[in-house]
Amino acid sequence: MARTSFCDSKPLLDLHKKADERRAPFRSLANVYGPVDRWQPVDVGLQETRITSVKMETDHRWERRLSAQKNEGILLGIHEDSRTRSAAAGCVEEPVLLHPFSLQGLHSLQALVPGLLRHEVELALEKLDLIWDRTYAWDIFLEMMRTQTQNSFPNADLPRHFTDATRAILVDWLIQVHELMSFQEETLYLTIHLLNRSLHHIKVATANLQLLGMVCLFIAAKKEECLLPEVSALCYLMDHTYTKHQLLRMERKVLCGLEFNLTHCSPLHFLILLASIARCSAKVVWMARYLLELSLLEGECVAFLPVQLAGAALCLSRRLLKEPPTPEGEAAWCLASSINVGSETALLRIMHILATAAAKAHSRETCATFLKFSSPETMNVSRHPELSNAPSLLGICT
Amino acid sequence: MAHATSLQYEPVAEIGGGAYGTVYKARDIESGQFVALKSVRVQTDQNGLPLSTVREVALLRRLEQFDHPNVVRLMDVCATQRSDQETKVTLVFEHVDQDLKTYLERAPTAGLSPGHIKDLMRQLLCGLAFLHSNRVIHRDLKPENILVTSKGQVKLADFGLARIYSCHMALTPVVVTLWYRPPEVLLQSSYATPVDMWSTGCIFAEMFRRKPLFRGESEVDQLGKIFEVIGLAPEEEWPTDVTLSRKNFPPVLPQPITDFVPEINEQGAKLLQEMLTFDPFKRISALNALEHPYFKEEEKLTQTKS
Repeated sequence: MARTSFCDSKPLLDLHKKADERRAPFRSLANVYGPVDRWQPVDVGLQETRITSVKMETDHRWERRLSAQKNEGILLGIHEDSRTRSAAAGCVEEPVLLHPFSLQGLHSLQALVPGLLRHEVELALEKLDLIWDRTYAWDIFLEMMRTQTQNSFPNADLPRHFTDATRAILVDWLIQVHELMSFQEETLYLTIHLLNRSLHHIKVATANLQLLGMVCLFIAAKKEECLLPEVSALCYLMDHTYTKHQLLRMERKVLCGLEFNLTHCSPLHFLILLASIARCSAKVVWMARYLLELSLLEGECVAFLPVQLAGAALCLSRRLLKEPPTPEGEAAWCLASSINVGSETALLRIMHILATAAAKAHSRETCATFLKFSSPETMNVSRHPELSNAPSLLGICT
Repeated sequence: MAHATSLQYEPVAEIGGGAYGTVYKARDIESGQFVALKSVRVQTDQNGLPLSTVREVALLRRLEQFDHPNVVRLMDVCATQRSDQETKVTLVFEHVDQDLKTYLERAPTAGLSPGHIKDLMRQLLCGLAFLHSNRVIHRDLKPENILVTSKGQVKLADFGLARIYSCHMALTPVVVTLWYRPPEVLLQSSYATPVDMWSTGCIFAEMFRRKPLFRGESEVDQLGKIFEVIGLAPEEEWPTDVTLSRKNFPPVLPQPITDFVPEINEQGAKLLQEMLTFDPFKRISALNALEHPYFKEEEKLTQTKS
């Protein structure tokens, strides 16, 4: 689960909850879908009992879920349990949608998600060609929300010998290699995600960090790309500092260390989804993509959830470009932002980080992203004059 | 951790030379738990692990995150290099002592009760619907890779392995049973998720009969045995992209399925027939099978009881 690494705000999540407890509600995810007449109450009062009772139910939950997928009607949540809500009362910052999989009121999700948002999410997923059957659209969206929390980081800590500055240099270099290979954007986000996870799970000597980064890119390409680069070409790009043999050994080490878990719900997908719901202009989207890619360089951003990073990038982009508001546009934006309701503190923090980064991007040593987004194809967003004022726009003293 | 598979798991016994290589039962030294180790050697060239292996194993791991009750747990994966050309990928699955084959063999002489069969079928279809909705085809569903725990929980095993193992398979002359193969596979036509539904139908019948429904000795013989029950498929349903002609088979008429599965009830027979449909496009899907009146009947029964 994500944690904001600043201490002056209220915790976004209750960090004292044990992992098992946090995972448990998903075991009953099926209940969300249960038609009213099939609904079986689960004792939410006692965490311990609930886990076991849900476990015993496992045989039927999938079946219920499957049968409900065919149920056309949108279920109005009448399952809200007052006890679970009061349990959440301490958590003021409780984001509604981020927590369908967390402790409280999973079954009440249907009540809390306006039908309109659900409809818009379905439409957007379809429009973006991310799904081939709208029946599963909402499920897929919930799955995206769940996957991102499963693969998130508890903190932004780096291994001892590794600083934010060295990390930024490595990421910047990977962005350049990625561009050179003309890979898809998803591949870059997966690469950095695998790198972040590898740094948490695998012991790597400082001398091998570049090799680790390259291997993460190579594995991401194997997962996402149609055309693979030759290993010898990768070694060439590293000035033959490492042999092919070393690279392949590192590949096995990373795959084993990550137990072949290459699942990642990229913030880019959330960005495109949110932008589609909010009917953002092309320029706003390009600016948000630029800001989102800048977040890859910021070590502190590792601990935020992809949907928060995407929401913050889009929000900052809108504030920077100050496009004349229209009633429809504002309503659509409200709806899109409701996905991140409850994580305002996190979003504001991310916006601060991104605004500061964007203001300095042109003068930094790590400027691959700045250059990439200064091209006419990306509407020159990184050179937008307003970016230098970004921090003051948010009221940060520079 | 995965880095030291050989150190963490102590082999106990060889439990099978499956189509895809040897399977070992082993003990997890840390937890004492039994696991099933399935290793496969993949050819590696200068570009490391093949793309297909990386994607397929990643998909298995992804499915694992759903924690589905009717799918066997994948606990660990490890890749170790054996030589410059070969990497061994070891998949560590939970070990379940009993498969459906032995379960049916061990059943009392009177056979399984209709309610019990319904329960097993529902679980099997749940697992299958889960795999299919994740775009995974089992391809080799048979009683041997349907596991049944001591508590009667059904767990599908060996799904999605076909593609990981494919390059290895070409090198091994293996005898794969034809008994659960659907017509489109026997005819070497293209196939998709309906293949598993055919196999499920064969297994459904076998639960009542306690012996396989179609026991063919070759592809053609297997098709002949199928037509003796469901009748020769009409010309318009015969796939066009196959070499085996419809004329090779005698024009037999469909027989009542209850002649072959006398213990089955009316709704069960209807469902079975929908599974054993020649045309894969007309065959019932796992999701729809779960909605079939056959499964509804029991609910009515329990409702009136309570």
